[in-house]
Amino acid sequence: MQERLDRLAERAARGLARHTSRRGFLSAFGRVLTGAALVPLLPVMRGSQAQAAEHAAKAKAETTDPNSCEYWKFCAIDGFLCGCCGGSSSSCPPGTQQSPITWIGTCHNPADGRDYIMSYNDCCGKTSCGSCFCNRNEGEKPMYRLSLNNDVNWCMANDNPNYHCSVSVVLGVAGK
Amino acid sequence: MWRSARGAWLALVMAGAANAAPPPPLQAEHLVLARLPAPSPHWLWVYDEANNNETDMRLYLYDGDSHRQLGQIDAGYYPSPAFSPDGKTTAVATTYFARGSHGARTDVVEFTDNATLSVSGEIVLPPKHAQAIPLYGAGYSADAKFLYVLSLNPAAAFTVVDLAKRAVAGEIDTDGCVLVIPSAPHRVSSLCESGRMLTVTLDDAGHEASRKLSAPFFSVDKDPIFVQGMNTASGIAFLSFLGDVYGVDLGAAEPQFAPVWATTTAAERGKWRPGGSQVGAWNSRTGRLYVPMHLGGPGSHKIGGTEVWVFDTATHRRVGRWPIDVKKYGSTQAIQVSQDDRPLLFIATDTSYLLTLDAASGRLLHAEPKMGQSPWYLFNP
Repeated sequence: MQERLDRLAERAARGLARHTSRRGFLSAFGRVLTGAALVPLLPVMRGSQAQAAEHAAKAKAETTDPNSCEYWKFCAIDGFLCGCCGGSSSSCPPGTQQSPITWIGTCHNPADGRDYIMSYNDCCGKTSCGSCFCNRNEGEKPMYRLSLNNDVNWCMANDNPNYHCSVSVVLGVAGK
Repeated sequence: MWRSARGAWLALVMAGAANAAPPPPLQAEHLVLARLPAPSPHWLWVYDEANNNETDMRLYLYDGDSHRQLGQIDAGYYPSPAFSPDGKTTAVATTYFARGSHGARTDVVEFTDNATLSVSGEIVLPPKHAQAIPLYGAGYSADAKFLYVLSLNPAAAFTVVDLAKRAVAGEIDTDGCVLVIPSAPHRVSSLCESGRMLTVTLDDAGHEASRKLSAPFFSVDKDPIFVQGMNTASGIAFLSFLGDVYGVDLGAAEPQFAPVWATTTAAERGKWRPGGSQVGAWNSRTGRLYVPMHLGGPGSHKIGGTEVWVFDTATHRRVGRWPIDVKKYGSTQAIQVSQDDRPLLFIATDTSYLLTLDAASGRLLHAEPKMGQSPWYLFNP
C-alpha cells in the first residue's frame, strides 16, 4: 500500500514537473506542502503514516510538556522549539515570519491513541533562537524526498530566509 | 647533629636567594602575520554549522599531525564548500544579509587562497543557493573550468559558474533531483526521489547538452540511502539507513552501479545502523571504509556512532570494530579519513571533540576539545 501510494505521489510530482512551467510547478508544490485543506491530496504523507506510527508507538512520547523534545508532536522535528523562543508549538515568536512551505510528519499521540499528520513549519527572519534544540527523525527521509526532509532550511522561500525556530502544527487525524 | 646540618643548609639557600639576580626582562615582540606551513594530506577542514547563530558558519583548518588549528574561513549562512583540483583554492558558495541577520540577501561564491587564507575573489550567484547539508552542495569540474552550485527554493537546480569568465554561465533544472556530483569532463549527477540518478552533460559553454535518467538503484521506502556520499577512486559511494553500500562508477557517460553489499550480518541488520551527520569515510588508496555505527531502530539515522566499523572495500569483510569512549567524548557525528598511505581518521563528536586516530590501528592519537560549536562535517582539502 505504502509503495503504491508513493509511486502515485512520484508520478503526480513528475507529471506536474513535465506539464507545467517552473513557476507553475513551484506553485503546485507549494500548495501540496502548505494547505491543510489539501490533506487528502498528500499520498506521500499517507504512505508514510503506518511506518511513522509504528516508530512513534515505540518511542516514549511526552504528553504534558510542549517544550520537551520528547513531546509527542515533535516526532520528526529538527531545530529549536518555538515554545522556548517566544512562540509555542503552533505559533511563531513575535517579529518572525512563518515559512509558507514545510515538511510533513505523522506522529502518534499516546494521550488519545490517534495518529496525527503534522506540519513542521519554520519561523523565519531572525537568526537562530538557540534554545531547546530538538532533533527527532521518525519517518524522516533524505532531501531527495523533500516533503519528508527536515535537514533543509524551510525558510528557503521566505523574503528573509533566516531560520529562527520550528513549530509542529496538527493538520488533522491521519486516516486509516 | 642532624639539626645543625639542616640549619647550615637553610642558611646557604637563603643567602643564595638574596644574592640571585632577577631574570632578564622579556624581549620586545614584533606582531607578524603567521604563515601557513606547506600543505599536508593530514590537514582537515572542520565545518562548524554554528547552530546557535547560523549566519556565522565557518571552516576551521586543522593539522592532524601537530594537532593545531591553522586558520579559518568565514563562511556565512549555509555555506557549501568546494576544493579546487589543484588544491590551491577553497570555494564557498553561501548567503549573506546586508544587516547581519536581515537586509538584502546576496548569494555569492567566495574564493580563498589556501596559501594565505585570504579571500581572493568572488562571483555573485542567483539568490537561491541551497540551504541544506554542505556535502555535494558545490563542486569543481575536474578541469576547474566550471563550478557547480546546488539550488533549492524549493525547485531543485544547479548553477553553472564559468571560472575563466568569472561569471554565471547558466542554470540547469534537475527536475527535483538534488546534489551536484561532478565527473569528468563536464557531467553532473544528482539523486532523485524515484531512486534514480540523473546525469546532465554540459557543453563547453556550460549549457546543457544532454541528460540521462538511470534505472532505479535504491528504494526510498524500503531502505533510503544517505545523501552524505563518499568519493571513491572511480566515483562515489553511499550508505543506506540499514548499512548497505551502494557504489557508483562515474567514469563513463552513464553511471554504472556496483553490486550492493552489506556492512552488517543478518543478525546485526536493523539493530546496528550507521548514523550522524556524516556517516562514512572512504580511503581510496587503502580501500578502507569507516562507518560510525550505533544500536538503534527506524528513525535513529541521525544518532551518532558509538563504534567505528572498518571494512575492506575489496573483500567487503569487516576488519575492525573500534569502540568510541562516548562517556568521555560523545558520539561520532562526523567522520573523515585522510587520502594518503599513512592515513589519519578524524571524528567529530556531538560534544564538539575532534578525535584523531591512526586509521590503520584505531589508536587514539589526540582528542581536541571545543572544536567549534557544532562540527557536523569534515572535509579533506
